[in-house]
Amino acid sequence: MNNWHEIDPMWAWEPFSPPGGKLTREHVAHLHRRTCLGATISQIEMGTQRSVTELVDELIRPLPEANSTDPLAQATLATGNARKLSAWWVYRLLTTDAPCREVMTLFWHGHFATSADKVTNVNLMYRQNELLREYAFEDFGKLVQEISHDSAMLIYLDSVTNRKAHPNENYAREVMELFCLGEGNYTETDIRELARCFTGWEVRREKFRFNRYQHDSGEKTVFGKTGPWTGEQGVDIVLEQAALPRFLVSKLIHYFLADEVDIPEKLIEPLAKQLRDDGLQIGPTLKRLLSSNLFFSKSCVAAKVRSPVTFAIGLLRSLEGTADTIALAEGVGDLGQDLFFPPNVKGWDGGRAWINSSTLLARANLIRRLLDHENTRFAKGSLAELASSLDRRTGTDVINWWEATLLATPLRSDVREQLVSTIENGSGNRDARLRDALHLFCALPEYQLA
Amino acid sequence: MTTRRTFLKAAPSLLTLGAMSPRFWLQAAESSGSNSDGRILVVVQLSGGNDGLNTVIPFDRDEYRKARPTLAVPKDDVLKMEDHWGFHPEMTGFADLYQNGQLSIVQGVGYPNPNRSHFESMDIWHSCTRQKNRRSEGWLGRCAAECLSAADVPAIHLGQEQQPLALSSTRLAVPSIKSLDQFCLQGAPTEKLAMAVESPPAVENGLLSFVQSSTSTALRVSERIQQQAKSYQSTVEYPDSQLAQKLKAIAGLVHADLGTRIYYVQLDGFDTHSQQAGAHSGLLRQWTGAVAAFLKDLESHQLDDRVTVMSFSEFGRRLEENASEGTDHGAAAPLFLAGKQLNSGLIGELPSLTDLDQGDLKFQIDFRQVYASLLEDWLGCDSARILGKDYKKIPVFHKT
Repeated sequence: MNNWHEIDPMWAWEPFSPPGGKLTREHVAHLHRRTCLGATISQIEMGTQRSVTELVDELIRPLPEANSTDPLAQATLATGNARKLSAWWVYRLLTTDAPCREVMTLFWHGHFATSADKVTNVNLMYRQNELLREYAFEDFGKLVQEISHDSAMLIYLDSVTNRKAHPNENYAREVMELFCLGEGNYTETDIRELARCFTGWEVRREKFRFNRYQHDSGEKTVFGKTGPWTGEQGVDIVLEQAALPRFLVSKLIHYFLADEVDIPEKLIEPLAKQLRDDGLQIGPTLKRLLSSNLFFSKSCVAAKVRSPVTFAIGLLRSLEGTADTIALAEGVGDLGQDLFFPPNVKGWDGGRAWINSSTLLARANLIRRLLDHENTRFAKGSLAELASSLDRRTGTDVINWWEATLLATPLRSDVREQLVSTIENGSGNRDARLRDALHLFCALPEYQLA
Repeated sequence: MTTRRTFLKAAPSLLTLGAMSPRFWLQAAESSGSNSDGRILVVVQLSGGNDGLNTVIPFDRDEYRKARPTLAVPKDDVLKMEDHWGFHPEMTGFADLYQNGQLSIVQGVGYPNPNRSHFESMDIWHSCTRQKNRRSEGWLGRCAAECLSAADVPAIHLGQEQQPLALSSTRLAVPSIKSLDQFCLQGAPTEKLAMAVESPPAVENGLLSFVQSSTSTALRVSERIQQQAKSYQSTVEYPDSQLAQKLKAIAGLVHADLGTRIYYVQLDGFDTHSQQAGAHSGLLRQWTGAVAAFLKDLESHQLDDRVTVMSFSEFGRRLEENASEGTDHGAAAPLFLAGKQLNSGLIGELPSLTDLDQGDLKFQIDFRQVYASLLEDWLGCDSARILGKDYKKIPVFHKT
């Protein structure tokens, strides 16, 4: 990858204006791959008629007024089965008309990683998921306060047993290290003192409860501030730290722009300042990131490894696909991204960590299973029917369509010929040949990148 | 042992992958050479708390019979190994291993202030830390990331269960494999895919090159395992149990020379609070029969000097049986190491049945001492970096 230290920060975060004044299909597809789990060819073509600002405003829009409850979620919760909850989220990821909010919810799920394996209560896992969704683009400070009172989180990080005589440092540590500041931006004393602020926090009947008899009401000194702080006040002190916006911005850059860059301080600083000035509102900073010169530059295109979700659900969304959600959730889990079951408190590392022999073979095998599964549909029909309805007659037409919607980096010409020949001269009927070609396409190294 | 030469001899099968660049050949042959030197640790987790006293039985102790009016194994049924102890009668597999000098029994393994919750104690064994500390990594996950990361897939968990914390790492993902099919490319794009990864991509991109070389490794793995499924013949008859089938699959993977250094499997059901006798017999038979067949199989392929099997449980059980002809959660228990390179025999003393810790056997050897010995003397890793401090090793391996 190229060196980010040579990038001019002024240029980097200025709004992108496409050469010739018009976005290309590549630009629009890039934006959608990163923020919406992909887009169909017609969504991409329509996008080229609009400006970057319009597209990004459309992505990061406020949550619609809470309407009726989600009946599928209610039915899922009634089963008490966290595996079904995982399938519920997969269904939502596949069908939502606000995909960017889901992508951001997934970001927070990794950030505030909590596993149903330990929490063992689907209601609490669901409630946390809704919380992350509600605050996806909103006030980060409020989100941290809310998550600190969240029952699933309290159980996951052992705060349910936080007694005055034995403060549990687990949550205090994670608030600083993983949620807000990053390693090296606090001392062990800060952790011990913050842990004292959280004493007396409990979960009773699935709800947060403050037990004043177990709360240590003495004076604590957190980041040099002394007082009889409560847990909420302790969190507020953490939220004031200068390291916070820098930590978050760099995490957002890795999530949305590029996996493995060493981001120089001078690139982080302008956005960190904005995030602080906006009162830690995530939306405006995210809009600036996604409409920037840097986002659309060569340094960022094809600079991310597809997560299992973007790999499988991205494919289906781009081809108007639907599938058996239980099988799909399990498949995505086999690839290493088990929704509601993150591997540890750090969530998913992403990037190269997604890739090894076992996951690559599992990726290819998952696509084969999906393509052969009777419940998999493309625009409610077969893959061949979808291709015909889009007037993709020849093998070349089909590969051009897939390349434009699915690939961040071009195909080699000999590989393209192989794919075309699979469609034109392979075995079986046209639909079987298309499925064989799509299977091969999704196993290609090129498709593993976003 | 698979040498470079036998790999090259087996190589024509790889020609089905299509024309390959010389670089590919070199990498394959070289990595095969280095893997052959790699020693392998297979961990068998006995979940639920195995009753150590009815496993390694102090048959001539009155306290044992007194504490277990219904559960004590009759003296005549015990498979007597030495003067004062013997195995449960279902453990004929281990009796054979012991007599062949391939079994090392570490006595009284545990840790200070034992926790009697399954989850908590298992987490302690997995992460080597108590609850007040954060546990994002397990000892084997840390070992894989710190010391074995040169391997393509340093560790594998084989089974349907949730991946054990022991294998977690924040730096690398250890795959959980439900069956070997997952390691074989389904459908038939192998040749075309091999072609697609053999020459450089259309554009220069570090990530793309990485995925491309990983894909070529993956194809090689898939090809080897498919080949293996056809060519691997086991003359040893494995018992008909899930654990045995898993270990058989691992024998195939070891033979395929995958380069994986750690394999992890589990056998559940040891939480025998009531009507223990029948259930425990069955479990002991399953466990020891499978491990014995596995080692025999490895021996017949001359792979036995590369593999050590460790079997452990999160705790033992109380000395006294309970009112339901079962036993409740206890503390220290024996741990078993099987393999050819071990100092066979009993390590440590038989536990005292009179000097107890709240009715439980006291520990003599910290489980982390066993880990340190395995890490240093078997896997060749710096144990202090992985375990967080220096634990005194115990002499389980032959001096090499």
